[in-house]
Amino acid sequence: MINELLLQFAHWLEAQQYSQMLVSGYYSWNWLEATHVLTLMISIGSLFIIDFRMLGWVLPNVPATTIADRLHKPMITGFVIMFITGILLVYAKPVENVQSLWFRIKMLLLLLAFVNAWIFNAKMRAADGSWDADRVAPKPLRTGAIISLCLWCGVVAMGRFIPYDWVDCDKVSNTTLLWAAGCVEQLNAI
Amino acid sequence: MISFLSLNRRTVGLAVILLVVILLEALEVRASIYPGLLPYFEWLKNSSWLGYLGTTYGSVYATVEAGHLISMAVIGGTILATDLRLLGVLFRDIPSEIITAGTFKCFKVSLVCAIATGIFCAAGVADKVYYMEVFWIKMLTLLTGSCFMIFIKQPLLSSRPHSEINPWILRLLAVTSILIWFTVAATGRWIGFS
Repeated sequence: MINELLLQFAHWLEAQQYSQMLVSGYYSWNWLEATHVLTLMISIGSLFIIDFRMLGWVLPNVPATTIADRLHKPMITGFVIMFITGILLVYAKPVENVQSLWFRIKMLLLLLAFVNAWIFNAKMRAADGSWDADRVAPKPLRTGAIISLCLWCGVVAMGRFIPYDWVDCDKVSNTTLLWAAGCVEQLNAI
Repeated sequence: MISFLSLNRRTVGLAVILLVVILLEALEVRASIYPGLLPYFEWLKNSSWLGYLGTTYGSVYATVEAGHLISMAVIGGTILATDLRLLGVLFRDIPSEIITAGTFKCFKVSLVCAIATGIFCAAGVADKVYYMEVFWIKMLTLLTGSCFMIFIKQPLLSSRPHSEINPWILRLLAVTSILIWFTVAATGRWIGFS
């Protein structure tokens, strides 16, 4: 049911004039994708520096919360640009993305990464500042940092997988995979 | 003369490198080397195990590509922290010496990872990238960036307290570094479109 609704919505988006303009314009698509990928260096770059600090791998002599506070603004700026360009990229090729297993896993990992970031932030604010100057953060924060690193590596990897066609609707016959990828027509045909 | 050279080693070294590059270009050495590189690129794609892995297993290639992107993102993070501190935009309450020294190891590790994963990615499409102008621009910028970081920026920043260095030199270092690494990343992205 949800797959049908998503596909209908994707078809509606794809029929829009601006969606077609984005995908047919060679430079508009390339600029969007390039901006989306290059902003990784600001958003994920800043995030990884914060996570690495929690693990004691970089700047161990600078208070961890100072690193997190100072890099917060560039990181959020990067993520905002990534989300805007990401939404436009999906808007340009909605049917392809809605029926991509990798895109769906990416969205799931993104959701998990944000939940983890929210918990991590809450734990960092709640913890008393006695650990702040320590070389490594307390175990719960270190765990949060490792989970964050893994989830974001997964997000980048899934983003990279999207253009590949290994599990495209017309290439798989496994019903679970077809359902997970949202291949409505192929599922109906079985 | 000797005292002048020893006092200005880095400046003289940089001038010599520039002179050599100009001479190589003027004498068309680069143009004569280029055709000779084609067999190596063909070997990399068709005969090396890197090329075999990259062309046979698409999932391995895509995973290594993701690793390349992550390495570049970490390079971006270290550049952002260091250069924005030198420009006085970020971490203004922390001495820039601490930020510079504290992120350099991370930069080196991620640079090695980016180069290693980059060689794998290039091996899979070596016969295509050889003919791409943007690929060669990226390689030259990467070489320039690595030399700039290892032989100019880092030695200068670690040689003395930053308060003793002309603030405009610090800003120039930061802007140059940002421009170089942005070009490396942007040309890398453009290889995918070519």
